[in-house]
Amino acid sequence: MNNKFRFLPIATFLGFAFLYVPIIVLVVFSFNKSKLVTVWGGFSAHWYGELLQDPQILGAAWISLQIAFISASLALVLGTLAAFVLTRIGRFWFKPLLSGMTAAPLVMPEVITGLSLLLLFVAMEAMFGWPAGRGFTTIVIAHTTFCLAYVAVVVQSRLSDMDESIEEAARDLGAKPVRVFFDITLPTIAPALMSGWLLSFTLSLDDLVIASFVSGPGASTLPMVIFSKVRLGVSPEINALASLMIGVVALGVAIAAWQLLKSPQKSKA
Amino acid sequence: MSAQTQLAADEKPWRRAGEKPFIRINRLTKKFGEFVAVDDVSLDVYQSELFCLLGGSGSGKSTLLRMLAGFETPTSGTIEIDGQDMANIPSHDRPTNMMFQSYALFPHMSVEQNIAYGLKRDGVASSEVSDRVADMLSLVQMSDFGKRKPDQLSGGQRQRVALARSLIKRPKLLLLDEPLGALDKKLREETQFELIKIQESLGITFIVVTHDQEEAMTLATRIGVMNYGEIVQVGEPPEIYEYPTSRFVADFIGSVNMFEGRVKEDDKDYVRIASDEAGTDIHVGHGVSCAPDQKLWFAIRPEKLELRRKRPDGDFNILKGMVEDVAYMGNLSVFRIKLDSGKIVKATQSNRVRRDDEAISWDEEVYLTWDETAGVVLQS
Repeated sequence: MNNKFRFLPIATFLGFAFLYVPIIVLVVFSFNKSKLVTVWGGFSAHWYGELLQDPQILGAAWISLQIAFISASLALVLGTLAAFVLTRIGRFWFKPLLSGMTAAPLVMPEVITGLSLLLLFVAMEAMFGWPAGRGFTTIVIAHTTFCLAYVAVVVQSRLSDMDESIEEAARDLGAKPVRVFFDITLPTIAPALMSGWLLSFTLSLDDLVIASFVSGPGASTLPMVIFSKVRLGVSPEINALASLMIGVVALGVAIAAWQLLKSPQKSKA
Repeated sequence: MSAQTQLAADEKPWRRAGEKPFIRINRLTKKFGEFVAVDDVSLDVYQSELFCLLGGSGSGKSTLLRMLAGFETPTSGTIEIDGQDMANIPSHDRPTNMMFQSYALFPHMSVEQNIAYGLKRDGVASSEVSDRVADMLSLVQMSDFGKRKPDQLSGGQRQRVALARSLIKRPKLLLLDEPLGALDKKLREETQFELIKIQESLGITFIVVTHDQEEAMTLATRIGVMNYGEIVQVGEPPEIYEYPTSRFVADFIGSVNMFEGRVKEDDKDYVRIASDEAGTDIHVGHGVSCAPDQKLWFAIRPEKLELRRKRPDGDFNILKGMVEDVAYMGNLSVFRIKLDSGKIVKATQSNRVRRDDEAISWDEEVYLTWDETAGVVLQS
């Protein structure tokens, strides 16, 4: 009995250590004074300062943020539309198939997604000249496609939880369908939209593989720059950059999760 | 003989010939695929009525209500409200409002905003809106709760807000879907009478859907009993209870003892039914239109049976059996009596004295008898 109780906290501790010690080490070493990554030379925020002086990294960060913002927003609109179709349009025989196909990009290997998108872009360029070359636009399109799946899944679950009679009540009280959407539906699913957007934003910010496939000259995202720098040897500067990214992504995910959790108490019938 | 003739015609509009109905449902049918939810229903409801649609789940009562509100489109048939055909009128333009079973309060709006919503959609001036919201809040005794959100209210309070919200536009017709279904028994009983009071003071026509026969009996001016998408009987509560026209209605409303039998003697003033199930001849003190030897059913309510230890005189309307079970319910006791034929008969006696040592108890041999006009003869 006692053993069991002692075992559980230890197992929990080990599990979390396994997950988070590498990240903690990385963050700690980002404050390393020494130029050698593996040798502790005292505390310093020097490398963060260095980071802000590096135009290549700043440029890449700016591109990444823009791509994340645009593709998250596009994915939000398209994913929400998909979620509406999948929850609100009655039953039709291929609906489960459609639903599965919307969610498929979640489990599709990124290498395959990246490769297939690359082939598509090349073929499209050959056929009607758009998108001209690979770069910013193609990354946005690629990120939108896989972020859409996340938004669709999150919004879909919120919509199917929603008590549709509150929309009927609004209609009954004289609100036209568009009015019902903005007065009732939108506020109800807003937390899901918010968390879907944040999730998409962080996913886009994280992505290396797909971006590497569909990117072209002049459009290197932050993860791409980090990866190419690391290949030349890890520098404390990269540690600092990685720590910042962890911070941004963690914040995004935390807000997304909080939004989903605090969403209005399910109305008890 | 017909039951209706026994009820004297008076000022009630549905009893007057030629009275114009306020709501006219004509041959309304709704199919979902192959499933017929509402089957060729015709019904007239009059101004200021509190009409109850009563039925079990899947009887089509909610679908009928939703067609009145405009949430479902009829497969065929017409609905007319105050002389106006509802066919092409969307729900947001109908002179009806609905109170939902789940109350469907807007969770992100306060009580006041919820109630005001309908008026705002109509573009009513905001000073008038706040006056009318205040009136409504006081009508449902919720004046102190205007600023609260729905999730800060109890079930009974939410029910009041939902009622206020559905009444504020002064609809010609208010539709209520199981309005008291989510309340506990005590609160439900109190609220029933309040609902009637509000309905009477506003004079709005109510159509209430419920599966609770007691609720229907308490609330309704008239009840429409639904089964498998059809309205099987329409009538005032006593009429439905005392003069059901089918075995379904007799069984659905209250509890009943049913005996199968065959016509033995058929006279202008009485019929005699032979029933093996009852083990006695049943004498009915009025004429019944039937064929000789026709199979029919005799239904009698448990409270109309008289319980005795000694065999009564006569050779009809006497059941003999053994008390199998006695359930003490407080105000009355329910006896389950097993007849010689094996049929179980229910009889109730009200407990007029606090303690009765002479009371009939388990395993006693008893006789049951009833007045010749106490039951009904059913042909279907």
